[in-house]
Amino acid sequence: MVDLPERKAGIVACSCEELPEGTVARLAALKVLHELRPGKTVTICLPLFLAGGKGDRAFARAHPTITVDGCGKRCAARGTERYSAKPYASLVVNDLLAEKGLVAPTGRHASDEASRRAVDVTAERLATLVDEALAGKPASTLPASSPAAGTCSCGSNLPTTHVAVEGVPVEMFALPLIFKQFREAGRSPDDATAGELLEAVRVYNALPPAPDAALRETLRREFEAFCRRGGP
Amino acid sequence: MSHPEKCAIVACSGIGKPLGSVTREAAYVLCDELRPTKTVLVALSKVALEEPDALERIRAYPAITIDGCQLNCASKVVTQNGGTIAREVSVVDFYRTHKGPRPEGIAELNESGKRLARALAEELARTVDSVTAEPEEASRG
Repeated sequence: MVDLPERKAGIVACSCEELPEGTVARLAALKVLHELRPGKTVTICLPLFLAGGKGDRAFARAHPTITVDGCGKRCAARGTERYSAKPYASLVVNDLLAEKGLVAPTGRHASDEASRRAVDVTAERLATLVDEALAGKPASTLPASSPAAGTCSCGSNLPTTHVAVEGVPVEMFALPLIFKQFREAGRSPDDATAGELLEAVRVYNALPPAPDAALRETLRREFEAFCRRGGP
Repeated sequence: MSHPEKCAIVACSGIGKPLGSVTREAAYVLCDELRPTKTVLVALSKVALEEPDALERIRAYPAITIDGCQLNCASKVVTQNGGTIAREVSVVDFYRTHKGPRPEGIAELNESGKRLARALAEELARTVDSVTAEPEEASRG
């Protein structure tokens, strides 16, 4: 089987040191990671991400990300979009507290009652967004929330490709990633590879009822074109 | 030549490890308790995203960067954005020289983590004093 990444949601918190809301964003992200949605989420280290961390940037390109910022400067959201991909959803603590009619936190340690309440409310909203992202639903908050065009509606940011099988258009999920792995394994666009490509594609796609031979020939042809182009 | 009035304090606040939280806590102890008038806390994410007010502060004042891992994100980002670093501290190295129980917890540091952060803040307070001292005062110190 092709080694595609397990689907998780990445949470990017601004962790702003200057504002109490930055601490709220950080603590809410950690609460979702450790308590509310363990195993379904990872946190992305924003400083590393911004300083050039390739692993974190690659993760954010392949998985849905939810950013949580303390204020309207939206450092986490802007950083994610600039260096990786548009976030699935962006949350701003200030806006959320205003929406809920809650008092703003006052201390940067976020140890007062208002801060604890703010952390809880923010974490609950984040957890909802995680569920929506992993279920492939549109996010229920803030505008910058719909999946980017050309990616799977599951919100994973993995690409979809349209190919023609015996003249019928078919949408296939993750095709460039599968092709990339075959090319990196030194495979040629021949009949044997076409059979294995079909097997791999079937794992991630519900294919239409078409003869296997036609599907194999389509994949062989597409893979050949992919190799000729040198990429997607 | 005039001495700087303040130091800019930039912590990495890495979210993946307890030592990232130690950097944040040390910055708070230093800026809020030990040297509130001689320091200005600058958010690393704002520097990385070239927010004008953050860039102005790291260019106006010598910076002390506090990093939680060997990737030294705070130090790199400040340097890349035109800041001058008066001192860069790696909490990993600082921890090695201050033997004690291992810091644990990211959302809530354990006592060992808090002690380490305070010890680091106290050492950095001396650095702040040295950097911001009048030349005669510095030569006496």
